[in-house]
Amino acid sequence: MEMMIIKAITDPIFWFALLAIGVVLLFVGKKMDLLNSTAYAAVVSVVIAVAYFHLVDHYMMDMQGLDYWYLFRK
Amino acid sequence: MGRQNSRKMWSIMALCAMIGFLLLPIATSLNALASGGGEAPPAAPVAKAEGDKKDAKVEKGRDVYYKTEGIVSGAPAPKTEDGPRDYPRYNFESRVLLWFANQQHLYYGSFVLAVPIFCMIIEFMGVVTKDRAMAKKYDQLAYDFIKISLTAYSLTAILGGILIFTFLTLYPAFFGYLSSIFRPVMHIYALMFVAESGTLYIYYYGWDKMKEGLLKWLHLSMSVILNVIGTCLMMLANSWIGFMMSPAGVDEQGRFLGNIWHVIHTALWNPLNVHRILGNMAFGGGVVAAYAAYRFLSAKTDEERAHYDWMGYIAMAIGVAFLIPLPFAGYWLMREVYAYRQQMGITLMGGLLAWLFIIQATMIGILFLSSNYYLWQALGRMRGAEKYQRYIKYLVFVLVVGFLIFITPHTIVMTPAELKAMGGQQHPVLGNYGVMSAKNGGINVIITTTVLSFIWYMRGNKEPMVPWKNFGNIFMGVFFGFAYVNIIWLAIYGYYIPANVRVGLSVPQVASTLSCLFFMTALNGVMLKGAKQMGPIEWGKISARSQYAIIMLATAFTWMMGLMGYIRSSVRLFWHVNEIMRDNSPWAYTHTVGFAANMISFNVLFFWVSILFVFWLGTLAAKKVPVEAKAHAPGRVPEPAHGH
Repeated sequence: MEMMIIKAITDPIFWFALLAIGVVLLFVGKKMDLLNSTAYAAVVSVVIAVAYFHLVDHYMMDMQGLDYWYLFRK
Repeated sequence: MGRQNSRKMWSIMALCAMIGFLLLPIATSLNALASGGGEAPPAAPVAKAEGDKKDAKVEKGRDVYYKTEGIVSGAPAPKTEDGPRDYPRYNFESRVLLWFANQQHLYYGSFVLAVPIFCMIIEFMGVVTKDRAMAKKYDQLAYDFIKISLTAYSLTAILGGILIFTFLTLYPAFFGYLSSIFRPVMHIYALMFVAESGTLYIYYYGWDKMKEGLLKWLHLSMSVILNVIGTCLMMLANSWIGFMMSPAGVDEQGRFLGNIWHVIHTALWNPLNVHRILGNMAFGGGVVAAYAAYRFLSAKTDEERAHYDWMGYIAMAIGVAFLIPLPFAGYWLMREVYAYRQQMGITLMGGLLAWLFIIQATMIGILFLSSNYYLWQALGRMRGAEKYQRYIKYLVFVLVVGFLIFITPHTIVMTPAELKAMGGQQHPVLGNYGVMSAKNGGINVIITTTVLSFIWYMRGNKEPMVPWKNFGNIFMGVFFGFAYVNIIWLAIYGYYIPANVRVGLSVPQVASTLSCLFFMTALNGVMLKGAKQMGPIEWGKISARSQYAIIMLATAFTWMMGLMGYIRSSVRLFWHVNEIMRDNSPWAYTHTVGFAANMISFNVLFFWVSILFVFWLGTLAAKKVPVEAKAHAPGRVPEPAHGH
């Protein structure tokens, strides 16, 4: 189970999916006029920001031929 | 109408003349490039036998950097000896005299190369803006900038002359060798200088005559040409220092192999170009902002104060805009230094010169602290900005923590008793902050906080009116929050992974900072479209302390430039040209940190005293403006003069 979780979170697809969810929630919120709700806006912002920064970390290291998830895989 | 057509014709002719100036060095270099500026073409098969005979006569050498073969076209680097032939001297350390001449020329050179770039940007803003009053204000500001640089330009040329005489009289063997290597481009440099001067004078004196319509666009095009020439000049000068640090295009004896492009395009040339152009811009912004601060502090009327407050703000904003990417360009330069010679990198950052980098870190911290302080003070001239004042203390805390981590040394110089008392070379707690992992976190936190201060400043007197403003504000807060978390997390993560993986963590840290800079500034801009104004920016209603912060910023930048120049030059240790031409003068040793700091301070002091003289000359010219031209200017908002 633990291995599966690690495998999932070290895969950029997971973070892309999370980013996509965040963007979808943003559009849904806009359509349903939910963006002015502080709680909803905070959740959407957190989802997008967390996914975005993980992708930045992953790809910026990958670009240099390095593994960002080194410690987690070990 | 006839007069207008005649002006247009003259302007087009002037522009063509400038393009001619620009192309002149290239045209003159064609001959040099054709004879020895490129790879020798492969010999035709029919001429092979003849070619073999020639090969026996010509001597070939191997490029020390590119590892290509080339025909030896120059004499080897001279093996100098300490004596009046190679090192004639006065009763003074020649290196210090050269240091002074070089540094002063560099300060003025940087200033006069940077200011025309500002003028180009500001004049362009004036041309494209739809608000006619603002267009005139920008135009006046660009004119004010170029006016300052014009006096400094003469001083740059004089200092350049002094520098050449210093080289010729004190280091003739070295200068002779360098001139022989760069012979194909030496006159190009001189011609470009002529082109720069000619273009600058036409640009300055043509300002009033070319202020509208097509003529204005032609005038703006002149500034582009002026800056292209200026940048080429700077890049040529950079090729000399690049060659001294990381020579190429010569064999191991220092003999020129006929390819001038290899000599120019050394391993460090491009990082030096990028680093210097950003540095020049930040430095130029600082000096112009200091000029505006000086004029603000000595202003007699509210109108003057308003104008110079605005001028200082624009100059500082441009300077800081180039200051933010500067550390990243510095990282690139250091990376290339390590890639070129690992030992050189270690001497710089982990050896003999490492303490100077601690001083550099302190100066960088001061630059960012001053910039932030200025922005917080500037909030005071906006109605509605009070809402941010109570949060400034948190920013101060974050900045100070980032700064303290950034300046913590890895090890310190200690007596054996101190060493024993501390239990080792590293302090048990603070020693952990003296590594790059923590320092990268520190500087990125500082830069991100500066971006946040700038965004607050932009929003100071405005209230977003977009329907999604609640989401926008929350998203901004969360994005900044997670950027901080990511930067700090990466700094901590660095302690738990091997060094070869850790070195890469600085890249996502920088990317997090730049994400805040680009995305949040853009988002803020979108949110502020059609925003409600709480009140106008009351130019001139800013504390005097803010102006001293600007002067502090400019002085710190000047000091840091002097320091980095010294570091870059000292890394060659006892070489005139690294591993090619040895320095056999009695001064081929590295100065103590204290001596270097005193020398840098003297250079900074001399520069600021002389530039104050230049500023003073500028005020004399301003006093000659007829009183009527100023009489109608009302209020606090700066009103441009209608003529120059």
